[in-house]
Amino acid sequence: MPVIEVEHLHKRYGEKVAVDDVSFTVEQGEIFGVLGPNGAGKTTTVECVQGLRRADGGSVRVLGLDPIRDRTEVRQRVGAQLQESQLPDKLRVREALDLYRSFYRQKADIDELLADLGLTEQRNTAFHKLSGGQKQRLSVALALVGRPEVAILDELTTGLDPQGRRDTWDLVERIRDRGVTVVLVTHFMEEAERLCDRLAIIDTGRIVAIDTPSGLLTRVGTEHRVHFRPLDELDDSLLAALPEVTGVSRSGDEVTVTGPEQVLQSVLATLAEHKVRYAALRVEQPTLDDAFVSLTGRHAGRAAATQPPTDKRSS
Amino acid sequence: MNALTKLIAVETKLFLREPVSLFFVFVLPIGLMLVFGLPQRGSDTGSAGQHGELTFLPALALALTIGMLALFTLPMALGIYRERRVLRRLATTPVHPGLLLVAQVVVNLVMGVAGAVVTAIGVRFLLDQSSPANVPGFVLAFLLGVACLFAIGLLIAALAPSARAAQSIGPALFFPLLFLAGAWLPRDQMPTVLARIGDYSPLGATVDTLAAAWAGESPAVPQLLVLAATAVLGSVLATRFFRWE
Repeated sequence: MPVIEVEHLHKRYGEKVAVDDVSFTVEQGEIFGVLGPNGAGKTTTVECVQGLRRADGGSVRVLGLDPIRDRTEVRQRVGAQLQESQLPDKLRVREALDLYRSFYRQKADIDELLADLGLTEQRNTAFHKLSGGQKQRLSVALALVGRPEVAILDELTTGLDPQGRRDTWDLVERIRDRGVTVVLVTHFMEEAERLCDRLAIIDTGRIVAIDTPSGLLTRVGTEHRVHFRPLDELDDSLLAALPEVTGVSRSGDEVTVTGPEQVLQSVLATLAEHKVRYAALRVEQPTLDDAFVSLTGRHAGRAAATQPPTDKRSS
Repeated sequence: MNALTKLIAVETKLFLREPVSLFFVFVLPIGLMLVFGLPQRGSDTGSAGQHGELTFLPALALALTIGMLALFTLPMALGIYRERRVLRRLATTPVHPGLLLVAQVVVNLVMGVAGAVVTAIGVRFLLDQSSPANVPGFVLAFLLGVACLFAIGLLIAALAPSARAAQSIGPALFFPLLFLAGAWLPRDQMPTVLARIGDYSPLGATVDTLAAAWAGESPAVPQLLVLAATAVLGSVLATRFFRWE
């Protein structure tokens, strides 16, 4: 049985349609990504899943329960980390965990959780004295303190530096390894690519695609690019004649060959066969960014940049 | 421990870590009493009118304690909780965010009572004022005054668009109320209309009923009723208009 089932979900705020016929399922034990630019309807979708908002149409089942009707039971079993949520300045790390722990039937071991999240040294530190990454980790810890079966993590790494972001990614993988199903809301392609088993791409309230990261890449058929600088004479038509190659071009000394994944192997074999030495070889793989552009006709980062910041909360 | 007792325990700790609120509750009222009370008593002019009553200043000090908690501390704390999405965060747990509001009110009430007791003891020994003579009347007046002022504080918390707004609405309301209560100009020297408004204003009615009971008289029933009515109206409106995010 799927852990989360969303069917034909609709939600509007006044005239503005936030979620328009969204359907997806999340399976036990996977990291499921909800990906899209700010204002695409990601947060509204997961808020309906959490029972924080009532859908205008469609159905939502979480662990077989209705998040509105069985809200207390759903909240016992689903941990959430909210975008931009804070704690009182003078509340200390351990006190916050101890408080939130008292809300749940199932209680995690606080010292273990602190150690897992690398907060043991900060256990008596007040919230306002924590760094951005520590605050974020505490927020995740609070989402896990009730030993949830599902954890919904919204914009987990926004505002973190690259190191903090990588640490947080490791953390998400450890959460999944504990057997918790993770729903990860993000607008970072790199994050989704690295972490998610499957992901749904949402744009302007609609699902554009649901697939594994590699499935999405194959689906949009984005090509690999092989760049190199030949050190010996090379006839471009040798490469162009290869069945995998879709294009050969030169820019100064550099040759660029495009084609599907196998193109690299064919190019290297051909170069070896004709005894052409080369330098500065690099391969550009297609990224989810490319897939997103190809699926929506827009660039996720750019779409995010043009969103007014006030729209963020209703997204 | 269940969620509510835990919330109350945590909110108490947070309150005690805030030196400003502690100062408001435990130091400022006694300080004001000493500043205003000692010279007046020393001069012993026996002036008539509101300020001549020996129980006026102690009653004002108690009203001040409650008023500052209800109109400054409470709306600001709730405004910050909403702004920082603490209430929203709580809504994702099995606990209703309303419990945090209950915990806040309980903590501020307990601090208010504690502050009032400290102030009353201070008055008793520093100003040599006798203890309240009509105890049941005094308790009733105190409870209704607290309920009325806290209801107004909750209404501010409900309507203020931001924590910053709550922080300015509180004082903006507090000082006119203090004036109406006769803190500066005794009500017997005010124009009649203003004085009548003052009699039934939240702080004015609280001060009068407390002062009367302190002196051993019965607090005026119409004033008690107005306090109760304001308390009910304020709470109903606050509940109706409270925004969680």
